[in-house]
Amino acid sequence: MAHAHSVKRHKGLMDWLTTVDHKKIAILYLWAGGFFFGIGGIEALLIRVQLAKPMNDFVSAQQFNELITMHGTTMIFLGVMPVIFALMNAVIPLQIGARDVAFPFLNSLGFWTFLFGGLLLNLSWIMGGAPDAGWTSYTPLSSTTYSLTHGIDFYTIGLQIAGLGTLIGGINFLATIITMRAPGMSFMRMPMFTWTSFITSAMILFAFPAITVGLVLLTFDRILGANFFDVSKGGNPVLWQHIFWIFGHPEVYILILPAFGVISEVISTFSRKRLFGYSSMVFATILIAFLGFMVWAHHMFTTGLGPVANALFSISTMLIAVPTGIKIFNWLFTMWGGQIRFTVPNLFAAGFIPTFVMGGVTGVMLASAPADYQYHDTYFVVAHFHYVIVGGLVLGLFAGLHYWWPKMFGRMLSERLGKWEFWTFIIGFHLTFFVQHFLGLIGMQRRVFTYLPNQGFDLMNLVSTIGAFLMGVGVIIFLVNVVITARQPVGVANDPWEDGRTLEWSIPSPPPEYNFKQIPLVRGLDAFWKEKTAGHKEMTPAEPVGPIHMPSATILPFLMSLGIFIAGLGFMFTSDDFGNNFLNFIFNNYIVTGIGLAITFGSMLWRSLFDDHGWHIEQDELNEKGVKA
Amino acid sequence: MEDQDKHVDSVIKRRHRQEGPQKHVIAFIFSIVLTLIAFAAVAAGGVNIAFTVVILLVMAVLQVLVQLGYWMHLKDKGHMIPIIFMAGGFFVAGTAIITALYWMWWS
Repeated sequence: MAHAHSVKRHKGLMDWLTTVDHKKIAILYLWAGGFFFGIGGIEALLIRVQLAKPMNDFVSAQQFNELITMHGTTMIFLGVMPVIFALMNAVIPLQIGARDVAFPFLNSLGFWTFLFGGLLLNLSWIMGGAPDAGWTSYTPLSSTTYSLTHGIDFYTIGLQIAGLGTLIGGINFLATIITMRAPGMSFMRMPMFTWTSFITSAMILFAFPAITVGLVLLTFDRILGANFFDVSKGGNPVLWQHIFWIFGHPEVYILILPAFGVISEVISTFSRKRLFGYSSMVFATILIAFLGFMVWAHHMFTTGLGPVANALFSISTMLIAVPTGIKIFNWLFTMWGGQIRFTVPNLFAAGFIPTFVMGGVTGVMLASAPADYQYHDTYFVVAHFHYVIVGGLVLGLFAGLHYWWPKMFGRMLSERLGKWEFWTFIIGFHLTFFVQHFLGLIGMQRRVFTYLPNQGFDLMNLVSTIGAFLMGVGVIIFLVNVVITARQPVGVANDPWEDGRTLEWSIPSPPPEYNFKQIPLVRGLDAFWKEKTAGHKEMTPAEPVGPIHMPSATILPFLMSLGIFIAGLGFMFTSDDFGNNFLNFIFNNYIVTGIGLAITFGSMLWRSLFDDHGWHIEQDELNEKGVKA
Repeated sequence: MEDQDKHVDSVIKRRHRQEGPQKHVIAFIFSIVLTLIAFAAVAAGGVNIAFTVVILLVMAVLQVLVQLGYWMHLKDKGHMIPIIFMAGGFFVAGTAIITALYWMWWS
């Protein structure tokens, strides 16, 4: 039974601040992630300029430490994570035939907490110094003894807030995928991107609590004078390393698994073939996730855990090569005998495979504990993780963005510019990082702000810097492509690649705000392809046309996150002397923190006391309304 | 849509009526008794601290099982996914904590 609600529609900025629509939140994630990605990229270029020649003084040692710390932290937590969430938000509800995620309100809350956490972290640049202890922030380097500015406080509190958003997002996608699949879509009929995102969300659920605890302990050590990591008072700095890597290693699989999913979708679509070994892909994903929690100490081989620990973690690390190898071969076998079209997404996917294999091979080399004593903290490690993160994840994200751009925005990105982007980016990438393997092997230390001439480092560092700028050119071409595309009218077909296999290609691009007029009936893996081969133009509906229940837009998630942001900022400066009575009074008495928490808990109270039942789109309004991009 | 909700409600109510409150009463009594044993063990205490600790741990494990099985409904049908995730969480957290502590302080 439908009942008419008059629903208030927001326009412009207010629409973006209040939206709970997964498609708009995806776009917000994409812009915010792109913004931080740009900041991280500029930091990377500054690092490369400093290292371009020996004894350079472009930045000071302290500034260099801040740059490398913020580059790593920004790229991992604020650059690629949100772009992954952008793709997950844009695609997963469509791929499983759902009208939205399970908790649209939480989805919005997750985005805003991430954004405010990221802004807080980056405020450190203009508020007395950025964090400077590396993205791993090892104690005692990150303790108040060695890091005197508030940099690390911005790190702990900013990441705590951003991490809250990630955890919320992960739980939301778990609930969505478990409960909201369309009729007929069993677990073993889910598209591969949905599968890998599902496993990634489960890993987020298990891994993020570890970093939450670690950051709380470090915050307490630094702000409240606790001694968790202070040896002189009975603490243990190795505890931080364990906690960080118990989170940190699963985190890198959290990053790479969605890219695996994107590559699986893209390769299968543009080979016009079903993904080879679908079920082995699923089990390989689960196995990678499982092993991902068993290998963290391979980051700590030189910490001195002893030969037994090192041997065990060596073996478990090398084991991960097995499921990963299964995936690589499955992609190759999917392409084998397929009608391959090298569109831009497929170029990125095809570039991904050999690049990622190279990163994987150096990973197995690093897994050997005795050899790691040589590699540890050299540029060999830097080359390895950039091969897997940039050569793996970022190529995967570009493939996914080019592939789903028409679905998200209703406009095709230019293929011609896309090819320029691909070639400049991948050539620049290999120029930058391939030589770094050898820099590491001949002894260049990681995280050094400069080096002496005539050690054999000079030429390779210059090549690396040139490559970095070429990658920058690739990214700029992508941005130009985006701007040019945005000026074109909306209006691509439902299935612009013409070989779409999954449910998202059965609905308009961009989809109407309710996604599916009627929830589709899924008859097999690659549901839309199956209908196409049966000669159908569209999916068979699983329900009659009826009024659609929609969640209401709300500003509360924004306010809650703003409150946490203010509270975090206030908490950081509780024992500072501002030389101003008023500022001293409001900060040192927890008044700013109190105001922030009052905003957050007040919003929660509002949410609890006033029920919001949402609204309905009536049957006669169900035309093809799209979201505006 | 509301009709459907009502239908779901009535199904849930019917199921609860069929099960009846007996099981929950038993589970409740069991929880209380387990708590009392734990308190009593400490109150009586003194003789052997290790023995008291073992009793407390056993009571804690039983208590967790009762809570999860009866109050969180993990013993009921259709709870496979929560069970998998809880087991996964225990396994991951357990491995991490035990291994990290072992190599930090005992080995």
